[in-house]
Amino acid sequence: MTYETVENWALHAFADGELEGDERKAMERLLAENEEARKALAAITYQKAELRKAYGNTIDEAVPLSLLASAQRRSSRGILPYAAMVASVSLVLLGGFGGWYAAHQSGSLQAADLARRALIAHEVFSVEVKHPFEVAANEQDHLQKWLSKRVGAEFKIPDLNTDGFALLGGRLLAGENSPAGQLMYEAEDKQRLTVFISANDDGKDEALRLEENGQFITCYWRDGKLAMAVTGEMAKDDMMALAKNIYDQMDKKS
Amino acid sequence: MSTIAFSKDLITELPYLRRFARGLCGDASLADDLVQDCVERALMKSHLYDPARPLRAWLYAVLRNIYVSNWRRNSKFTGAKNLDDLEGFEGAVQPEQENNFSVALITDALDNLPAQQREVLILISLEEMSYQQAAEIIGVPIGTIMSRLSRARAHLQNILEERGTPVLRRVK
Repeated sequence: MTYETVENWALHAFADGELEGDERKAMERLLAENEEARKALAAITYQKAELRKAYGNTIDEAVPLSLLASAQRRSSRGILPYAAMVASVSLVLLGGFGGWYAAHQSGSLQAADLARRALIAHEVFSVEVKHPFEVAANEQDHLQKWLSKRVGAEFKIPDLNTDGFALLGGRLLAGENSPAGQLMYEAEDKQRLTVFISANDDGKDEALRLEENGQFITCYWRDGKLAMAVTGEMAKDDMMALAKNIYDQMDKKS
Repeated sequence: MSTIAFSKDLITELPYLRRFARGLCGDASLADDLVQDCVERALMKSHLYDPARPLRAWLYAVLRNIYVSNWRRNSKFTGAKNLDDLEGFEGAVQPEQENNFSVALITDALDNLPAQQREVLILISLEEMSYQQAAEIIGVPIGTIMSRLSRARAHLQNILEERGTPVLRRVK
């Protein structure tokens, strides 16, 4: 059969768009002269067309909702179902609710909740291009006073320049008991980092902890009047050092 | 890349993942199960994805790995039919079904290809991956891709010629 006799890799490569320049021209010449080569090419083209006929319309079919829902659900590794649910809801609301924030827990913020709230707020707002913050860094004094007042605990805006992050601005996050604040920082490579600040309602201190969720690292602690967390995408050691830096700056304040 | 950005990109790739899965295993509902597993695995491993590289090829590799491990565990995934099934199918063809005939012919012919040939053929002929991408997805040298591809096409051609084109069959 013609197909086998002329079977050679160059012909396949030509059919698959893998040949360029002189190799391609040489194959075009061969095809112009040689009928067997043309038949062999036609066989390859025919197979391709048949495969498209058989499976190609899959592209135009509506994707089943179950698949869409799975693709929107974030990684479940290291995250409780509650947080996964809130995170997927936040995806839906991302467009319309600038300051939307879920805080369903009652009572004081427990440390694990603190980390989860910080992570979710980070995920929602760190990808914002147009509105990553409500008050920009050039109004830092106003931002500091406003957020301290609304959060219900005085805090100092951490300076993370030595860690390579400049303050972009901040926003208020709604919560069930009391609002929380988010400060957004950006590195030169546009990598973003958020600091989550809320009042430490029951006043219990908790040492610095680290939680890893996919590519995100969250460090969090409760100290005096403040419950804080910092979330970003970086090596654990770097994040611990950065969290320690923030912790130290807060400590100097009080 | 943030999880949200990754998830958005993943959603735009779903139609292609579904086509690839269907081409691989030949069965629409098995294919969607495969895509489902792929999506879950991809979200879990998203931190391993290098955004500088094409997402589709990375996802195809994830999906293909799941398929291969399921293959080995579970015989229902082989998809290959024996000759008796094929003969039964041929006898059942009615004239009014002739529009679907060539589709049935090619999908049945595909089911008779060895799995290693089928995946290469699907990646290149249907999904239009480059030889280099196919080599990376399957994890073999590019020369192996080319020889499997050439064998797959010759094999498929033999099956198609043995069974005749739809036109010839109608005359018969």
